[in-house]
Amino acid sequence: MRIGVCIKQVPDTDSHLRIADSGRGIDDSNLNWVISSCDLCAVEEALLLAEAEVSRGAERPELVVFSLGPARVEEALRKALALGFDRALHLVDEALEGGDALSDGRALAAALARERCDLVLAGAQSDDLGQAATPAVIAEILGCPYAWLVMAVELDSRGKSLRIVRELEAGMNEILKLELPAVLAIQAGINRPRFASLRGTLQARKKPLRREDCSGLGVDPGLVGAAGAGIETEAVSLPPAGAGGVVIEGASAEAAAGELIANLEREAVL
Amino acid sequence: MPAVWLIEDTRGGPGTQEVRACGRALGGNCRVALLDEERLGPYAPGLYAEALRALIAQRDGEDPERSVVVLLPHTYQSAEYAPRLAVRLGAAYTASISGVSIDDRGGLRFRRSILQAKLRADVRPKTRTVVATVQVGAFGGADPAPAPADVFEVGRPADSEEDQEREILGREAASGGGVDLASAERIVTAGRGVGGPDEVSVAADLAAALNAELGASRPVVDNGWLPREHQVGSSGHVVTPDLYVALGVSGSIQHLMGMSGSRIIVAINKDREAPIFSVAHYGIVADLHDVAPALTRLLETRRSG
Repeated sequence: MRIGVCIKQVPDTDSHLRIADSGRGIDDSNLNWVISSCDLCAVEEALLLAEAEVSRGAERPELVVFSLGPARVEEALRKALALGFDRALHLVDEALEGGDALSDGRALAAALARERCDLVLAGAQSDDLGQAATPAVIAEILGCPYAWLVMAVELDSRGKSLRIVRELEAGMNEILKLELPAVLAIQAGINRPRFASLRGTLQARKKPLRREDCSGLGVDPGLVGAAGAGIETEAVSLPPAGAGGVVIEGASAEAAAGELIANLEREAVL
Repeated sequence: MPAVWLIEDTRGGPGTQEVRACGRALGGNCRVALLDEERLGPYAPGLYAEALRALIAQRDGEDPERSVVVLLPHTYQSAEYAPRLAVRLGAAYTASISGVSIDDRGGLRFRRSILQAKLRADVRPKTRTVVATVQVGAFGGADPAPAPADVFEVGRPADSEEDQEREILGREAASGGGVDLASAERIVTAGRGVGGPDEVSVAADLAAALNAELGASRPVVDNGWLPREHQVGSSGHVVTPDLYVALGVSGSIQHLMGMSGSRIIVAINKDREAPIFSVAHYGIVADLHDVAPALTRLLETRRSG
């Protein structure tokens, strides 16, 4: 069995974000880049599934990590290798840049199909654009069953199907059986991602990391990246600071607390 | 003015009003595609995507000059299959939009939050047809909007293969009982800013002094600082108390969707740029570990006095 995990490298959401001079994106010259948080949970879930297979005496599935993006993405892939993945595939080509969920999904689906993954995991939504769509697009193109917001995964003993739990509205969960191959979008909180060991980090340097461009993937450059995207960002802006609310700043804790209580009494909520 | 499809459900689930309001903001040339589980069978992503594709594609030739916008609520069900519908229609896709506009030349713009609501983006579709999910709570949220008169019932397509590879085994409550956030009049929520499992007490103490239920943001639950039944946010509970106090909550889109209908919102956070301040009626920019205990002391004094 082969498990493929798609990860996205995103700006650390705690970094200070500055709008680029073009006004169409953020200034990426001075950012910390990390693996998007749900994707890191997908990485952890693949490691847990592999460990569960081994502990029941089955063959350990091969774990392959995929990511699309410029040269900096290699660091994210190396991190997954340090955590225990067997090999990495880096989708890197100028023609792949500037894509949306549709065009990135096309490129990733091509890579996943070539590698013949039995199970594909990805995060439920990215910390940057948060469209929550790339794994669905992959499932659509591969023609696989798909579930979003997955909170538990178990492989059946024959390795043919999955039992999964997904979140629904109003605090309910749905339990589903999916035949393999399948695509799962993993929700944050399904597990606690581990940290890489020093030994893992050293081993990761020697593990195979392959780069693929459009021709290697067999995708039409016109259907991926910015050319293949269905949407284009015209402008980014800061949300309005405060919705006309009262802001208490610079006061001592006691003074701030007193002022708040006086306001809440006036609003008749105390 | 684009032709707009509003995807509605006979059960009138969350987001119906927002989808209608968004349709109105796009000029009101709207028709409804009505999903009926009794007719279609139990929800499956491939089935619903195919049923809607067939209906929308069948009507597509009516006015080829016009752009087509397909609107769904950004809920657990429709945001699961909406991207698949977009692929099948050869359409652009964008999710959880909170605003729309049309320029002089008829060009569409959608507004959405990005980077955990720290920024917002205006995006435009490059294709004639676009599928978009509408953020629940946007477009004036609860204002009741009339249903368009033009309603098409969505027919059952031939079974899609991938749905035969998917079986519903059951449903279960995600969390245990004991915490009643939905009917609480006051809620104090602990966010990641409280710092750790041993420091959640700062929020619990304030909740006790206010006679409030204790809520938690998603990171607090994910880190195991509080059990999941405390979670506020679209993936947990949607709450509308009289008083909502957010301690060290930065305010992800999901969290804001889950609580922004509260009558009075108080936010206490060190980070002045935290998105939670955009919905707060009263904001205190300070260390919650100083302010919350001061509030607790004052409230206790007030009560005993």
